[in-house]
Amino acid sequence: MQTIPAPVAQLIETLAELPGVGRKTAARLTFFLLRDKSDLAARLATALQELRERTRFCSVCYNITEDDPCPICADPSRDHATICVVEEPLDVIALEQAEVYKGVYHVLHGVLSPSEGMFVENLRIGELLARVRKGGVREVILATNPTGEGDWTAAYLVTQLRPLDVRVTRLGRGLPVGGDLEYADVVTLTRAMEGREEV
Amino acid sequence: MHIRYLSLTNFRNYARLELALPERTLLLHGANAQGKTSLLEAVYLLATGASPLTSTERQLIRWEAEAEGLPYARVWAEVVRRDQAQELEIILEKKPLANGSSRFQKSIRINRARKRRADLAGHLNVVLFTPQDVELVSGSPSVRRRYLDGTLCQVDGEYCRAVGLYAEALRQRNAALRHLRDEGGDQSQLLPFEETLARTGVLIADRRRGLVATLSQKAAEIHRRLTGALEWLRLEYRPNFDPAAPPARERYQMGLGLPPYTGPPPEVGDDGLVEAFRAALQARRPDEILRGMTLTGPHRDEMRFIAGSPAQGTHEVDLGTFGSRGQQRTAVLSLKLAELAWMQEHTGEKPVLLLDEVLAELDASRRRYLLAQVEAAEQALLTATDLEMFSPEFRQRATLWEVRGGVILT
Ligand SMILES: [Zn+2]
Repeated sequence: MQTIPAPVAQLIETLAELPGVGRKTAARLTFFLLRDKSDLAARLATALQELRERTRFCSVCYNITEDDPCPICADPSRDHATICVVEEPLDVIALEQAEVYKGVYHVLHGVLSPSEGMFVENLRIGELLARVRKGGVREVILATNPTGEGDWTAAYLVTQLRPLDVRVTRLGRGLPVGGDLEYADVVTLTRAMEGREEV
Repeated sequence: MHIRYLSLTNFRNYARLELALPERTLLLHGANAQGKTSLLEAVYLLATGASPLTSTERQLIRWEAEAEGLPYARVWAEVVRRDQAQELEIILEKKPLANGSSRFQKSIRINRARKRRADLAGHLNVVLFTPQDVELVSGSPSVRRRYLDGTLCQVDGEYCRAVGLYAEALRQRNAALRHLRDEGGDQSQLLPFEETLARTGVLIADRRRGLVATLSQKAAEIHRRLTGALEWLRLEYRPNFDPAAPPARERYQMGLGLPPYTGPPPEVGDDGLVEAFRAALQARRPDEILRGMTLTGPHRDEMRFIAGSPAQGTHEVDLGTFGSRGQQRTAVLSLKLAELAWMQEHTGEKPVLLLDEVLAELDASRRRYLLAQVEAAEQALLTATDLEMFSPEFRQRATLWEVRGGVILT
């Protein structure tokens, strides 16, 4: 491996740390960038830098945003009394693209899964409870994925939200069991949202 | 029911195997380590979704397949049940991870559609007899729990789902307990896992109790016949958690001579049991956080084999601890034949019999008794190194195939 210049080896090693990218893929991408004659590498470098510099978490819903609060939280035409709780920012995108929901969101950034090192302390749960306690929230829709972990996360949230004066509903009916919100189509999402049930 | 066609790819020592299987008795013979047992193991895997052996399922993938960079195994069968053909398929894969290790993945398909383990229930039923069965009596409690799960999962999808969910919730709760011990934190995050453990745990205990009671009744009858009424046998289910009975530990200390356990009083009801289980889990939290593991529940259940002889009056022994090897073998044969009768009654169909080298262990009369069951089956797959074990008449009626180095000579 000593024959490979350090910057090349370094990029391979770094790319290989990404989920789903093995060393082979990392090496292929690196050599592609090395041979590329356009400004791809420069654009990639800028994009990576701006990814961290120009984005932040919305201080209300913890979605990824350029502006704080995020456009959804800042939009007066949305129903701020209804909060839809999702696992990841990608779930917000899926629901927004489906245009099935007019309330606001709360992004947990993960699910409760102690066996994978995810505990309630690692999720934005305290922030959600504080939001509800502040008042003005009528309904919390639990839209974690219908997987084991998603269900346990929802069950935990129910135990925490029940003492608060708020309606708690669960999205799910119609979503394929073990499926992912992110990949559900518009019809499925609409049915799941409209058919949500009180828990 | 019977298996019409079996196809193996990279399974154990089979690189590739395509077999149209006959109905009735198929006798696979050949020297040791040629792949006879692997064939039965593959069939068992399709019936239950799990290997009968406690060894890791990663080892089912043929070693050379991994060396060639294709770390997967496939078992496929066409099963005929009530004149309907169904396709069952299980694929075992090692998916490479970025960090150089691999993730083991098992996928199940029924009629080409992706399914879960619980969906296999009712598609292919088998009863397996192996020389290792004696460990059901002499081995650790986990062997007996695995047996109860494998047996029930074949016919009861709800049980199978509960067992899977229970195991996952247990893993999660144990991880959370260790985290609370090492880092502290919010104990209320145990609640969702405890809820799942309580709900599925009550169902698991209930089904196990029902199964053991039925098996005990049937095994007692068979055992009397196998021993010429010289010995009697009783199976006892000892749930780790039962709100109505003294804790298992105490019962062991009190020893035998207690009336057989028949279950919680009916007036408690399922909801009452779930509530009691939930309460028990919460009550033991401090202790369990210290130990970093869940100590209450069906993952610590026991089943015992109790025997005695009419000649010795009320004296009885636990065969697991005090039985001779011969007594243990007879008891396990009684259990297996009871399982066969139970499965047939429960499903209204004859299961496929799998017998792996079991005759050598048995005396002539027990051998005859067992082979009579074999010949009554719609399909039975037997393995043997020594064909002399079988009478010439039996061999004449059976289909004989030789297995040599992962190849079947028909
Ligand atoms: Zn926001």
